[in-house]
Amino acid sequence: MLSVRDLRVSFGHAEILQGVSLDVGDEPFAVAGRNGMGKTTLCYAIMGMVPVQSGGVVFDGASIEGKSPTRVSRSGIAIVPQGRRVFPSLTVDEHLRLVSRGKNAAWSIERVYDTFPRLAERKGNGGSQLSGGEQQMLAISRALLLNPKLIIMDEPSEGLAPVLVDHLIEVLKKLANEKIGLLLVEQNLRVATSVASNVAIMLSGRIAATVPASQLSADEALQRRYLGVSTGSH
Amino acid sequence: MTLEMFATVALNGLTVAALYFIVAIGFSLIFGLMRTVNMAHGTLFLVGAYAGVAVFYPLYDQGFSYAWIVALAAGIAGAAVFGVLLQVTLLGWMQGQELRQTLVTIGISIIAADQLLAIFGGNSQQFFPPDALFGSVSVPLVQTGHYSTFRLFQIAVAAAVGVGLWLILHKTKLGIIVRAGVDDRAMLSACGVNVALVSVLVFAIGAALAGLAGVVGGTAQPFGQEKDVQFLLTSLVVVIVGGMGSLPGTALGALLVGMAEQFGQSLFPTYSVMFTLLLMVIVLAIRPQGLLGKRLT
Repeated sequence: MLSVRDLRVSFGHAEILQGVSLDVGDEPFAVAGRNGMGKTTLCYAIMGMVPVQSGGVVFDGASIEGKSPTRVSRSGIAIVPQGRRVFPSLTVDEHLRLVSRGKNAAWSIERVYDTFPRLAERKGNGGSQLSGGEQQMLAISRALLLNPKLIIMDEPSEGLAPVLVDHLIEVLKKLANEKIGLLLVEQNLRVATSVASNVAIMLSGRIAATVPASQLSADEALQRRYLGVSTGSH
Repeated sequence: MTLEMFATVALNGLTVAALYFIVAIGFSLIFGLMRTVNMAHGTLFLVGAYAGVAVFYPLYDQGFSYAWIVALAAGIAGAAVFGVLLQVTLLGWMQGQELRQTLVTIGISIIAADQLLAIFGGNSQQFFPPDALFGSVSVPLVQTGHYSTFRLFQIAVAAAVGVGLWLILHKTKLGIIVRAGVDDRAMLSACGVNVALVSVLVFAIGAALAGLAGVVGGTAQPFGQEKDVQFLLTSLVVVIVGGMGSLPGTALGALLVGMAEQFGQSLFPTYSVMFTLLLMVIVLAIRPQGLLGKRLT
């Protein structure tokens, strides 16, 4: 579905992405790695939100690198960015109306409210008045209403209480069943390994290894080597 | 100061504030969505006023009774077209490069001012309002008991502009898009919205309002070539006082600037210029984001 080839991104003299290649198929695919390894930059580079120096991104057979975020979005990729980036001036309902593709789309405003009843309760509240968990639901709903073929999620579990992380894992598994592709960037290994079938590990702007999720969650030595964490610590 | 004088000066302040609001709200909207400090905003006022002049006098001389309405439409359309051209041909290509945009708009305003001088000459001009708005009406409390009908109409226009913009911003899909763009332009783009197109539309609305102000202001008082700088400076002071990109803030800023100017002129004529600038200095010292502005991050 999504194929990234030798992607390079620099800010000034710092090369943040030093030739990243990865393939996302129909199964959820996760990228793990410590802070500052270039995971967020990778998300923004695919989405067209930061300029790309070289390399290619092919989505659904069409080349999308160097395209504007508007074009990338319209080609069928949605993003749930790090920090959610909900619009503080818009109410929950206005967020949904902004991106709604009508009642007959697979994901409609009604369906979002059915799936996340909490958002229906907070309909008239502004984006900045929501809790972290509510903001995350809203950011995911905003992506879903675009009815994308692929969703890029950057650290969706960040700042969520453990019970909400469990809820998040359930939601992500449901999306996978709906044939919506998922590129999940996660530091929380439990989330990454319970949702994705394969996990790529990012180290200093490169993909150091791609391993099956089951192997990564079992191999503590591997976790310590690349991630400096163990599943228990999160 | 007698009560009559106070009422008159306050009403003068309100009518001046109304005009400042119409000009500055366009400036504020453009800055809010695009972060463009449009130094050619006073030029848009002047382009609107002269586009009105170009059609007004030929029609008026023939005794055409709707000449003023046509001039108003021409002023709005002329400024909107000029604004759209500015955004599409120049500013859209330097989105995010604020210093470059500022310098380009200063350059455009200098070139446009010379062209307008070459075409329309340096004499001051004035529109004659339609009969219904001509003369004065009886207003209690003010000196002489009468007040200019057109200047009261100016307040009504500003109120209509304010309410209309509020409805667009809060009750329409375009308004949702514009407010989202003010918050986070890149994220709005990632939601599939063509932000460049929305920018052109917002620029057109902001420019059209400057053009509207050009004809309305040019009816209340004679105008000449120097008005571009005057209205640019006033717009800057109004949005700095009220808060950039905020509709209620711009209304409050315009009101304060209008009142400071009029009361300053009547109480301390020699030092009147200082009052608006003093207002700006005080606001900048106490609340740099403007009275109703969002804290800049």
